[in-house]
Amino acid sequence: MIEYVKMIVVLSAISAVCGFGLARISSATKTRIEEQKLLNVKGPAVKKILAGSGNNLIADRKEIVINDKKMIVFIGKKNGVPWALAYEMEADGFGGEMNVMMGFNLSDNTLTGVGVTSHKETPGVGSRVTDDSFTGQFKGKESTASFKVKADGGVIDVVTGASVSSRGVCDAVQKGASLYRDVRAESGK
Amino acid sequence: MVSLAGEFTKGLWKDIPPFRLVLGLCPTLAVTKSCLNGLGMGMATVFVLVCSNIIVSMLRKVIPKKVRLASYIVIIASFVVIVELLTQAYVYSLYQALGIFIPLIVVNCIILGRAEAFASKNTVVRSALDGLGIGVGFMLSLGFLGAVREILGKGTLFEGSQYMIHVFGQSFEPFTFMVEAPGAFVCLGLLLGIMNVLGD
Amino acid sequence: MEYLVLAITAILIKNILLAEYLGNCPFIGVSKKMDTAIGMGMAVIFTIALSSTITWAIQKYALVPLDIVYLQTVVFILVIAALVQLVEMFLKKAAPPLYKALGIFLPLITTNCAVLGIAVLNIRRGHTFIEMLVFSIASAVGFTIALILIAGLRERFEITHIPRPLQGTAIGLVTAGLMALAFFGFAGVDSALKALQ
Repeated sequence: MIEYVKMIVVLSAISAVCGFGLARISSATKTRIEEQKLLNVKGPAVKKILAGSGNNLIADRKEIVINDKKMIVFIGKKNGVPWALAYEMEADGFGGEMNVMMGFNLSDNTLTGVGVTSHKETPGVGSRVTDDSFTGQFKGKESTASFKVKADGGVIDVVTGASVSSRGVCDAVQKGASLYRDVRAESGK
Repeated sequence: MVSLAGEFTKGLWKDIPPFRLVLGLCPTLAVTKSCLNGLGMGMATVFVLVCSNIIVSMLRKVIPKKVRLASYIVIIASFVVIVELLTQAYVYSLYQALGIFIPLIVVNCIILGRAEAFASKNTVVRSALDGLGIGVGFMLSLGFLGAVREILGKGTLFEGSQYMIHVFGQSFEPFTFMVEAPGAFVCLGLLLGIMNVLGD
Repeated sequence: MEYLVLAITAILIKNILLAEYLGNCPFIGVSKKMDTAIGMGMAVIFTIALSSTITWAIQKYALVPLDIVYLQTVVFILVIAALVQLVEMFLKKAAPPLYKALGIFLPLITTNCAVLGIAVLNIRRGHTFIEMLVFSIASAVGFTIALILIAGLRERFEITHIPRPLQGTAIGLVTAGLMALAFFGFAGVDSALKALQ
């Protein structure tokens, strides 16, 4: 009997100490991990889209709530003055959900660039929408442009053999651009 | 009576895993696409192995026999979670490169094996040295295997750091087979054979 | 169709043993004889299906709502270890013939990284319930197929002359490498199937 009690006590004590310790370490590293995740997963796309900014793009991010959805907005500053902002939109591709980062120039409302941050497209086929040859088409276009593939009456050339994936990226940019226009119209931000 | 130094050095040659102690093959094969990945995985394993050996040895008189394996697993898994959190916070690129093989350190038979076979019967100092020796042996093996595969498969060494060298010059046509899965198996198999020759 | 692609990818193209490097320890240990390989394979299919389902449910209904996802590794390995024990006890009482066939393999499975590996992969890849079930069973079937194929080859080694330093594990690994190379031939089958769709 005593042996059983001892077994249970020892095992619970070990688990409790481990659980407590891990909770402490987890909360201590939490903000750093989130930052590292942003830096490594979104960072490359953000840096490319907001190229030329003088500030720390990851540290200067802002979290805002739009239509009950939490969004992270990256702000690019030149000499301390914001000149562009970038955020991410979701859309459905061929293999599942894809996330597309896009940036807008605040002075002339054009796109500063587009980058696919995560996707589940077929490697070598749908995944080619991440190439510069496709995403580069968006750069410099007005936020009011029709971001659709040419077959649907838009201005974007599809990646051959990956029309569904191409449409997914266009959808995301379209959504992002209309959000940008709405917010611009509402406030002066 | 083995001397303290002996506890450390046995892991470096006599019992070097995975060549002599054929354990922990999955991480060995999976993460040795490059030398630095191999060393990174080895370092994570050293940390878990040394810490769990120390704790298991400290608690060896407290833990009842019947629940010893469960206790060891909890202790080892906790250190693995610590490694998971720390790599995410400080070396994210390594965390990405090693992928699911960081949580899988918990089922690396070397660690549970040392806890059961050594740390549960020996003093804290001896257990720590044993863990360090076996762990460093494992790390060096992974680094070595990674270096061989990287040099042949990509023509580089230490890819991913500022010390990257093109071993055969830029024009080298890489032997891609070596960095793919089949190359991992064949390379480890042949190295094991070479170790057997050297050991005889 | 989608599930068929997922299953074929898991069995042939990204074979868990030969392309994803999971479950190598038991693989080298028990692939010397055909009948042990079959027994091990069956035990693995059974355990993986069961443990993936349970860990998937725990992640979704306990770890995520309670915001303790960082405990994933600890919880999963404990669940798997406990589950293997339970299955062993259950089989011993309820199905002695099955226990006789699979029993000795069960303790080995706790440290089979394929079991924990598939549980973690299911979470990391964000599989839905059905995707999880298809992926887990297909991966385990892929493991069994690879195990049986190599066991068939390794049985021949006993009557073949092999250089002494390569005997045992070394030649086993080289064989696995050549088998992995053969499985490379399946690459592209998934995109072909998707194109058919």
